[in-house]
Amino acid sequence: MVGSYAMPGWLERLKTEYFARRISHHDLDEIYDAAAKAAIKDEEIAGLDIITDGEPRRDNMVDYFLERLPGVQIDHSSKKFYYDFYDSSVKGKLPTASLGLMKEFQFLATYTDHSTKICITGPHCLTKRIRNQFYPSEEALAMDIAKVMNLELKALAKAGASLIQIDEPYYSGFPEDLPWGINALNTLVEGVDTKIGLHVCYGNRYGKPSWEGSYRYLFPTVLSANIKQLSLEFARRGGEDLELFKEFNPPFELGVGVIDVKNHEVETADMVAEHIRRALQVMPVEKVAVMPDCGCFHLPRDVAFSKLKAMVEGTKIVRQELGK
Amino acid sequence: MNLQLNHFNGKAAATTQSVVDALYQMLDEGQIDQAQFSRVNVQLDWIQYKQNFREMVTVSRGSKGQHAAGAKESGPPVMEIRIDTRQVTPASLKSEMKRAITAAESDTQSADDRIALEDFKSFRNSIAWEFNKLYWTWLRDWEKATGKGYEQALPGGKSDGNHEDAVADSVGDFWTLLRDMETKNQLPGEIFILEIGVGSGKRCGMFVERFRSLDAQRGTSYYPKLRVLMGDYSLATLDMSRPAVKEHIELCSFLALDALNPLKTLSFLRHKILYIHSTNMYDNLPDEEMLRRDGRLFYVHVRAYIPMTEAARIAEKFKIPVGSIRGHIDKLLSIGPDAMGERACGMSFWQEVWTAIRLEEKLVAIEELPDLALPNGLDMVKLEGILDESPGDVRFHLSSGALESFVNTIPLLHPRGYLQVQDIFVTDLNDYRVGFHGPGKLDGSIVNWVNGALLRGVAERTGYDLHFAPYRYRQGSKTSILYTSPRE
Repeated sequence: MVGSYAMPGWLERLKTEYFARRISHHDLDEIYDAAAKAAIKDEEIAGLDIITDGEPRRDNMVDYFLERLPGVQIDHSSKKFYYDFYDSSVKGKLPTASLGLMKEFQFLATYTDHSTKICITGPHCLTKRIRNQFYPSEEALAMDIAKVMNLELKALAKAGASLIQIDEPYYSGFPEDLPWGINALNTLVEGVDTKIGLHVCYGNRYGKPSWEGSYRYLFPTVLSANIKQLSLEFARRGGEDLELFKEFNPPFELGVGVIDVKNHEVETADMVAEHIRRALQVMPVEKVAVMPDCGCFHLPRDVAFSKLKAMVEGTKIVRQELGK
Repeated sequence: MNLQLNHFNGKAAATTQSVVDALYQMLDEGQIDQAQFSRVNVQLDWIQYKQNFREMVTVSRGSKGQHAAGAKESGPPVMEIRIDTRQVTPASLKSEMKRAITAAESDTQSADDRIALEDFKSFRNSIAWEFNKLYWTWLRDWEKATGKGYEQALPGGKSDGNHEDAVADSVGDFWTLLRDMETKNQLPGEIFILEIGVGSGKRCGMFVERFRSLDAQRGTSYYPKLRVLMGDYSLATLDMSRPAVKEHIELCSFLALDALNPLKTLSFLRHKILYIHSTNMYDNLPDEEMLRRDGRLFYVHVRAYIPMTEAARIAEKFKIPVGSIRGHIDKLLSIGPDAMGERACGMSFWQEVWTAIRLEEKLVAIEELPDLALPNGLDMVKLEGILDESPGDVRFHLSSGALESFVNTIPLLHPRGYLQVQDIFVTDLNDYRVGFHGPGKLDGSIVNWVNGALLRGVAERTGYDLHFAPYRYRQGSKTSILYTSPRE
């Protein structure tokens, strides 16, 4: 999984009920727990090796973190739907405090025996959603966000998080920011003693891309990122950019997106296998990880589940071919 | 009893007193009982379409005993009396009201004064839309028979979509987008644009010609990269549109596609198209209506019929038994105007039947339906959310076809692309309280205003904000231009 699993319609409704103060926070927490357990179970049954909690607690990939970042001021009246972004601003230096992400990880670790992944929205993306009224530059704000979040990541690693994925979709929208974006990323993961992945897509708001282009902009700058895995979307966009991995021979793994999460049509196992074979032409098998293009948030549950199953079946085909 | 004046003018205002008098007399004479009277809602409309589906007075009511499970309501079902104040004559008002109320008494059986053409159903499934389809399939024959092109049937006698200044502005906006993309190194190798519902092709031809000029004038080279997709479900219309784009034919592709689901034909262009346009297309897609009354939602189900007086006249004109009219209509809809032997005769029969067709209505509470089939893109949570901002009692279009078309079109848009639709939109649900918005008959086709407020609500949840700009290029035009911008 890249992060999120399908967001059920009933959960959307209950989130709205919470906003309307018709259910309590305690009840909503229990609902989140139930949804997370269901997502974990679906992922296990689909046959995934690495499990997330499906991220049902997150309204979107930005607000979940901004609400937890001390010093970020949120206008709670500013959104119409739970999925909208809050208006948020920073008017002073960010203080250091816990973000409370540990609870999410511990819940996941309690309910699965599989390897796990926890996803963290990166400092570049968060910076792009904050009205900066204090720092001299976006880069300065991003660096301070990274420093605050770094403590949380260290704690997660210490608690046993074996794979932490940093999500930075806004790199694709603002390629000119990449040099300082990678600096902020390296600050975020500095001294974090676990496997770090970086996920860069072309946006997945409302199940559609926010930008288009080529991943060429990432190279060679991304080679200086202190990461062990780079996951990109290829299923929707085609495999043309895979050649970049051949050209630059990066030190990190390739996380190859083989499931188009912006299309409700379910891929066949053979289609998935073909995507993987193409990836194997540019990277050795031990440096390829298979995953969807991005989070499955916008897919109906039955579609998401079928896609995950196809992904697993397609992977099995290639593993058999390789005698694994 | 509630009485609502939906359109304020002298005649409508004067009618109000006559309606109250007639209702009082009917109450006094026992033709409406007191309990029913408390649940009567009278709507005074002004039907702007000279040809329409309404009689002077129409009555729709819920089924007997139709109340929500567990609801504490009692008494007779809701009754809605709709009066066309343009058609009304004081002398006949009371008798027409009595006739309409009696006709609405029966839930299933058709009254003796009419020939029913179908069972009660949602309007989008009505036989009326088969006539609409027939019109677009046999457009040339219809135009020949009536002696006027379809654009001449539009208000103003020509399509607003073809206005030179409007097209020039559209081209300017599009060129600006391309320029911006080029400066950001985002310009794709092929620039796809799509017209859905091509009409005569004139608008598309004007757009591309103007674009070529502007491209040359500003020294850019976007024109050769253009890929112009012209889509329409009518092959006859696509064929008719070719001459209008002949100067650019090498850039054009003509595609038979279903306006309700362009994605089905063009899935290979998902997230690739930079500009999608249509004019007067949404208003001609299958639609249905709902009514919220006292906090409850009802579907308006319809049954098409021909008044017996009209049936007799048609039978006499074509020398056929009245009882065979239904069968002749079925043949007309399946075979076309040749069904009557000579095509000219078939065309004449078609025109007569189309003019005569009316719709009667019945209110069906949503909890009475075996399954709630809301249009694609809409669910009850969204609908309730949108209606939260509307007046309490309101009758509105679901604009099913427009919604379906919209949600099946926007996945084609490039992240920087936009959809532009010129049409007649109700942009505020409150407007349903102050005007009649269809359905009407426009020559041989159906015209229905589009519920822009509902469309906006659905669009928000699919990642787009909708904006409605009044059409400023022709004074008195009722059309607006919808365009999308992505939500962050």
